[in-house]
Amino acid sequence: MPLENFGSILNFAEEIESQDQAFYEVAANNPACAAFRQLFSELAAEAGKNVKAIQRTRRENVTEMILEPIRDFVRAPFCEACEGAGVLGAAEVLETARRLEARAQRYYTEAAEKISALPEVSRSLKGFGKIRKARQAKLAGLEA
Amino acid sequence: MTLPLMKNYINGEWVESNSTTLGDVWNPAKGEKIAQVAYGTKEDVDKAVRAAQQAFWEWRTTPPLTRARYLFRLKDAFEENFEDIARTLTTEQGKCVDEARGEVRRMIENIEHATGVTTLMCGYTLEDIAKDIDCTGHRQPVGVFAAIVPYNFPGMVPWWFLPYALVTGNTFIVKPSEQVPMTQTRIFEIVDQIGFPEGVINMVHGSKEVVNALLDHPGINGISFVGSTPTAKYIYRRCGETGKRVQALGGAKNIVAVMPDANLAASMPSLITSFYGCSGQRCLSGAILAPVGEVADELVEKFAAAAKAMKIGNGLNEQTAMGPVVSEAHRKRVLGYIEKGIAEGAKLILDGRNFKVLDYPNGFFLGPTIFDHVKPDMAIAREEIFGPVVAVVRCKTLNDVIELVNTRGFANAACLYTGSGAAAREFKYRVKPSMIGINIGIAAPMSFFPFGGAGQSMFGDIKGHGQEIFHFFTDTKVVIERWL
Repeated sequence: MPLENFGSILNFAEEIESQDQAFYEVAANNPACAAFRQLFSELAAEAGKNVKAIQRTRRENVTEMILEPIRDFVRAPFCEACEGAGVLGAAEVLETARRLEARAQRYYTEAAEKISALPEVSRSLKGFGKIRKARQAKLAGLEA
Repeated sequence: MTLPLMKNYINGEWVESNSTTLGDVWNPAKGEKIAQVAYGTKEDVDKAVRAAQQAFWEWRTTPPLTRARYLFRLKDAFEENFEDIARTLTTEQGKCVDEARGEVRRMIENIEHATGVTTLMCGYTLEDIAKDIDCTGHRQPVGVFAAIVPYNFPGMVPWWFLPYALVTGNTFIVKPSEQVPMTQTRIFEIVDQIGFPEGVINMVHGSKEVVNALLDHPGINGISFVGSTPTAKYIYRRCGETGKRVQALGGAKNIVAVMPDANLAASMPSLITSFYGCSGQRCLSGAILAPVGEVADELVEKFAAAAKAMKIGNGLNEQTAMGPVVSEAHRKRVLGYIEKGIAEGAKLILDGRNFKVLDYPNGFFLGPTIFDHVKPDMAIAREEIFGPVVAVVRCKTLNDVIELVNTRGFANAACLYTGSGAAAREFKYRVKPSMIGINIGIAAPMSFFPFGGAGQSMFGDIKGHGQEIFHFFTDTKVVIERWL
């Protein structure tokens, strides 16, 4: 499905954050992941905050006039499955978490580029990308 | 299934009209009835006016900064409910959800601008206008104002006026369009939570009877209107007869001209948005595309290709670029103009008459439509169609474009695409419309600039929002003082 307008790009960002929030909330309650409970809870809470920040970006920067087209940007490369956070072992959960963080960072980086005609939105998306990079660093050194 | 009934909001309470005449509210994408609205009566209007009059004195003596604080709270509440308002708007009006979001944003921006009251409402003073005599001009609120608003922007348009009226100390009555009463009802549910003093802000649903009652009521001091030119003229005349202040914004036939030196690739997105945004149901829609000289063939070809590529469907789908028109009756009216264009001999190069959206077979959809080789005297080049129909009038020179713009009668907005500063200056200097775009399509002025046209597009002196609107809602009382 194409992501070729303001609304669809921000909506997909919201979907990513909501999906990740749900994943980390379940993972935090997975007994196999007890060692990472606090981290997963923090990541879930942060994703929740990001949802609100994305909604704010969408509210405050929407324009009635499309001045620059957005082309060749679709959802498919950024869709990730993340079932089983409550039943998988810690290693698999960590692996999925790393995959989700990398996906989000990639999405935000590319979306920021695509929507560069709206600098405030682009800056905001870059900011979310930075957050995801930092989260990847947190997850990188962890072992189950 | 019982449909929800839209109620009036009078004196801080939700009340049912005493009317037995009900109108249907439709989801235009699905072609389904989704609500009902009572067509209010003279008695409903009288109740609202009395409540607004009762509330006036206490409200006008409330410090401006305190009044502004109500608006700050309202802004926060609208931000919280932003998406819900936008989706309600799309559901009953049909426009794409991004357009609806843009509309809600513009609505909020008017509140933000109005909160500058402590600067914008200030009067002025000059000492020593004569020996030992000083003179002061005070801006004072006037009383009760009302807004009568159209179906194409059910969220935003009342708020071109309402925040300024309130913040300057007046009380207010909104009459939403009977075709789209749900958005303003949702907005008033939020207003209700803010805790304005009873009677300061009221809403009466209805149709002609409510309009006439507002125009006739001696307790109303001024009317803000946005709609078609015939109705704007009627409102203006009636307000003159009953001694009310009035700003009546009417229709349009906006021309978008493209010079041979324009950057077509960079211009196409804003060109398409200008003509097909809100399915052409905007007083700031492009209506006539006027290529100048040799650019015509290439422009028409590229414009038609871009129009054809638009995704049309339910506005709630984020992928949709153009939604349905507001009603079946309006769809038929637009179809009538397409038939008229064919009969007049214009060349139909993109035909949206039989356009179908598979998932929504009952929706009020029209496809993008383009007529080429339209003559300036054809009906489709003179009359407001208010739909996704573009008339291409080929011009030889910039002078021809300016002549075309200045002979439409309407003078709302116009745009020129060009790489030449001299051509741009010539255009913006000589054309009659009051809202001009250069290389940006037909763009709407933001809340801190005035909105309104000239000629047959605007009746009255003071336009919507901008700094000037503080004059519409205040009287300048001049005090000349001498102390012995």
